Amino acid sequence: MAELDITRVDKIYHSRKGDVHAVKALALVVKPGEIVALLGSSGCGKTSTLRMIAGFEEVSNGAITLGGKPIHTLPPAARGVAMAFEAYSLYPPLTIGENMSFALKSSKLPQAEQERRVTHMAEMLEIADILNKYPSSVSGGQQQRASLGRALVRDAGLYLLDEPMGQLEPQLRAILRGRIKHYLREHNCTTILVTHDQTEANALADRIAVMEGGVLQQYATPAELKARPANLFTGTFIGEPPMNVFTADVSANADRVSFTVEGGTTLSYPASDISDALRGVLAKTPRIALGIRPHALQLGDGPVKGKVMACQWLGDQTHVAVDVAGRTVVSVSQERVSRATGSDVSLNVAARNLHLFDPASGNAIAHGGTLA
Amino acid sequence: MSQLAIKSLTKSYGAFKVFDGLNLEADVGEIVVIFGGSGTGKTILLRLIAGVEEPTAGAIEIGGHDVSDIAPEHRGVGMAFQNFALFPHMNASENIATPLRAAGADESKVKAGVAKVAKLLKIDHVLNHSPRELSNGQKQRTALARALAAEPQILLLDDPLRNVDAKLRFEMRLELPRLLRQSGATVLYVTQDYKEAMALADRIAVLANGTFVQTATPEDIYVRPATLGVARLFGDPSINTFDTVIETEGGTHVVLGGTRVPVADGYRGFGGREVIFGVRPEAVEIGSAGVEAEVIAVTPLNERTVLLLQTLNGWEFLASLPSSAASIPDAGSKVRASFAAVGTHIFDRQSGERLHG
Amino acid sequence: MDHSSSLEKILRSVAITLVLVFFLFPIAWIFLMSLQTNETILRIPPSIAFTPIIDNYTALITGQLRTAAGSLQLNFMQNMFNSVLLSVCSVALSLVLGVPAAYAFARFKFRLGEDIAFTLLSFRFAPALLVLLPLSLYFKTLGLTNTYIGLIWVYQLICLPLILWIVRGYFEDISPDIEYAYRIAGNSWWKTFLKISIPLAKPGIAAAGLLAFIFAWNNFVFALILASADKQPVTVGALAFVTASGIQYGQIAAAIIISITPTLALALYAQRYLVEGLSMGAVKG
Repeated sequence: MAELDITRVDKIYHSRKGDVHAVKALALVVKPGEIVALLGSSGCGKTSTLRMIAGFEEVSNGAITLGGKPIHTLPPAARGVAMAFEAYSLYPPLTIGENMSFALKSSKLPQAEQERRVTHMAEMLEIADILNKYPSSVSGGQQQRASLGRALVRDAGLYLLDEPMGQLEPQLRAILRGRIKHYLREHNCTTILVTHDQTEANALADRIAVMEGGVLQQYATPAELKARPANLFTGTFIGEPPMNVFTADVSANADRVSFTVEGGTTLSYPASDISDALRGVLAKTPRIALGIRPHALQLGDGPVKGKVMACQWLGDQTHVAVDVAGRTVVSVSQERVSRATGSDVSLNVAARNLHLFDPASGNAIAHGGTLA
Repeated sequence: MSQLAIKSLTKSYGAFKVFDGLNLEADVGEIVVIFGGSGTGKTILLRLIAGVEEPTAGAIEIGGHDVSDIAPEHRGVGMAFQNFALFPHMNASENIATPLRAAGADESKVKAGVAKVAKLLKIDHVLNHSPRELSNGQKQRTALARALAAEPQILLLDDPLRNVDAKLRFEMRLELPRLLRQSGATVLYVTQDYKEAMALADRIAVLANGTFVQTATPEDIYVRPATLGVARLFGDPSINTFDTVIETEGGTHVVLGGTRVPVADGYRGFGGREVIFGVRPEAVEIGSAGVEAEVIAVTPLNERTVLLLQTLNGWEFLASLPSSAASIPDAGSKVRASFAAVGTHIFDRQSGERLHG
Repeated sequence: MDHSSSLEKILRSVAITLVLVFFLFPIAWIFLMSLQTNETILRIPPSIAFTPIIDNYTALITGQLRTAAGSLQLNFMQNMFNSVLLSVCSVALSLVLGVPAAYAFARFKFRLGEDIAFTLLSFRFAPALLVLLPLSLYFKTLGLTNTYIGLIWVYQLICLPLILWIVRGYFEDISPDIEYAYRIAGNSWWKTFLKISIPLAKPGIAAAGLLAFIFAWNNFVFALILASADKQPVTVGALAFVTASGIQYGQIAAAIIISITPTLALALYAQRYLVEGLSMGAVKG
């Protein structure tokens, strides 16, 4: 259990077609026992970062230290790191059980303890019944669980998980997430997981590092990322369905603050809902990008008016798509609501659920009535 | 008279039977979703209806006529494939024009047809790109446009949103129903995503083990699942299950984690029956009464938080609470869980069928 | 980033040079020989400097060879014509037969399909001498000895397996969904084959055709045994240079250079397709 420090790390891939700057000046600290997720779409640099920490890629610039000791110059085997790969990479001639105990053989643990660990892990991941089978005869989801189990049974200073649950059967995912999180907490495992699935990141991580184009966008807890995204990218990336974004003209005076979006709809709030500091900034900003999360856009009396385009009940929530002056906005309700397609509907949103961004740079100006 | 009917359809490959005696009817303009996991034969079913594969037994009727002897090119069907299947050596416009040209339309009609459907699917600005130059979302729309171009009576869509990124999938999920209704075609839509199924369907046909286990409206499937299997497939996280027995002494109830959990009086007649008690995670209420349990882990999702709970005798179950709920217990705390009636189901342990209480 | 040291780079260059010299030396030597008279060739010690002459080439083209013993008729241009005719026609026939067959092997899984396919491939492996004697007897009985048709037919043993195996791989790489899409759009099976399957397999068909051409051109034994002088290709025709008045090295060299020129030019021109074809479309774009 140790702290991982990534200091101004770059990764540049050289090829005949030109250089690809996959990771740009990344700085990140993972506290001992913390679970961190690297989240982003494909090509954002998260997998390159993980491979640099593991030792399968060289660091072009910068340093990586674990517990104060630089590890970026060491070969992978000497780093004290356990890794679960995206493409399973189980050893074909060994059974699932042998695969999982393989790494333990080089440790100094007694045989009985090794067996206990493997059995316990297999039961936790629901693969106890296939321990005697070979990788080629089990399903993709089972292989993935075996690969994960192989990494977790080891004692390591750092656990690296590359898209660990992507292939899992949907029915198993929720329970396994809970069990894995419990296991990582119990054993105080410092863990970094790479994923493009924000649900997975939200569920498991203490903090999430959102990456795009090789640049770290924001590094914060899931709650903070949701409530206070640092820029438009993070704001629209986190959250399903994605945040509704409008460009709006601002008018702010001592009594009221109003945002007029395309099509003429005006959202108006008493000055008391907006902090003085923010009001000051808004007085000088004629245009902003206004973000409203679908869950915050509520059906009911309100200034946003439009026609229902779709009303879809999904069992535990309802998604309503509304045409507001030619563009589609999405509202999500936790209950079962039904509105006929084509019917008129009003929506409102409280000031505390507004996210304001600079339309040019995308950086956040304010969240929920106070400055970002 | 239905627009599309499948009667006792069977398909085997040698000794391996994919499905046996399937029956389904779809009305004109209806959107029927075929829902099932991978390997259940959904794609094969669409191929049989399109005519590119032959059934082992049974009949397919389009507009009341048996089409078994009619070649695919004459069935009047439009199809969109999971990996788009665009013709790589033609640009987007030519791809979309294919059904119109095959029907022998003259050049002006072809141009008009392509323009109309391209505008509908918002790809008119990339019409002269080759498939290689299109993004996945544009490829998918081009594939859809090609299927729609000749205004077919039957539209077969094979998991068209599968290979499309999450953001676009949301958008399309909201747009597709309107688009499909506008086309007026009878639609068979295949998917493995239950949310997509519920969002798009007039009716859902759940395919499992070679047969349609239940064919009903999304509401019926979710609120009145025919079997445990169906209940498991719809809902995220999946329904919690517990093997128990219905007891009648002192009121109809089951015993969970050492606690009495009352169930509807209507189950009185099943006293002594071995059952599976199922409760959806969103129906689990954390409060001051109910089954004692410890919170093992708290996994926050976007707008809901999922708790992994464990009763004293080791039964693991999940609760899904709105993230905005007043209080969400911490990991390690002891709580009491009760189960709302809507969202609670009792299934026969042998057959898996839902019992009516 | 190229991590190899300068030493590694030097060693690599030396190795490549050695390989190139090993393979290209005979061709370079023959090219030089073709520009020399017999006396220059046979001189001991061999000299590097000489005055190049094109008499050897003119002799071949005009068909007249002047030797110490007098003038000789050479049929070399006839041989070239035969080579071209035989190779082109064999490849054409094998494409017409082989491409649809390759499609059948790729798309339709029928009983014994793999066995039949492997048998057809085995024709490439079997030594020609195995079948030559029976073949020559058949040919005699059927009256096919020394006919173009007979030779073109026999050349299918060389060309067809290549076409089948390379083009089959290409057809297998085309997703069946693309063909289904074209049919469902309203086109017949035949139109789908012509407009979709064949165009998409074009690189493979071209590569297979080129390879088949090269192998047909280079064939020796079939033409030697089953045909006579007027129908024989250049591979056999070269034997004519072993004359009563001695081996005409200069003309042989010139003949060789002329014979390899078409196939060399084709291979160079189409080398990209050949590499693609030989890897059987294994890497998808």
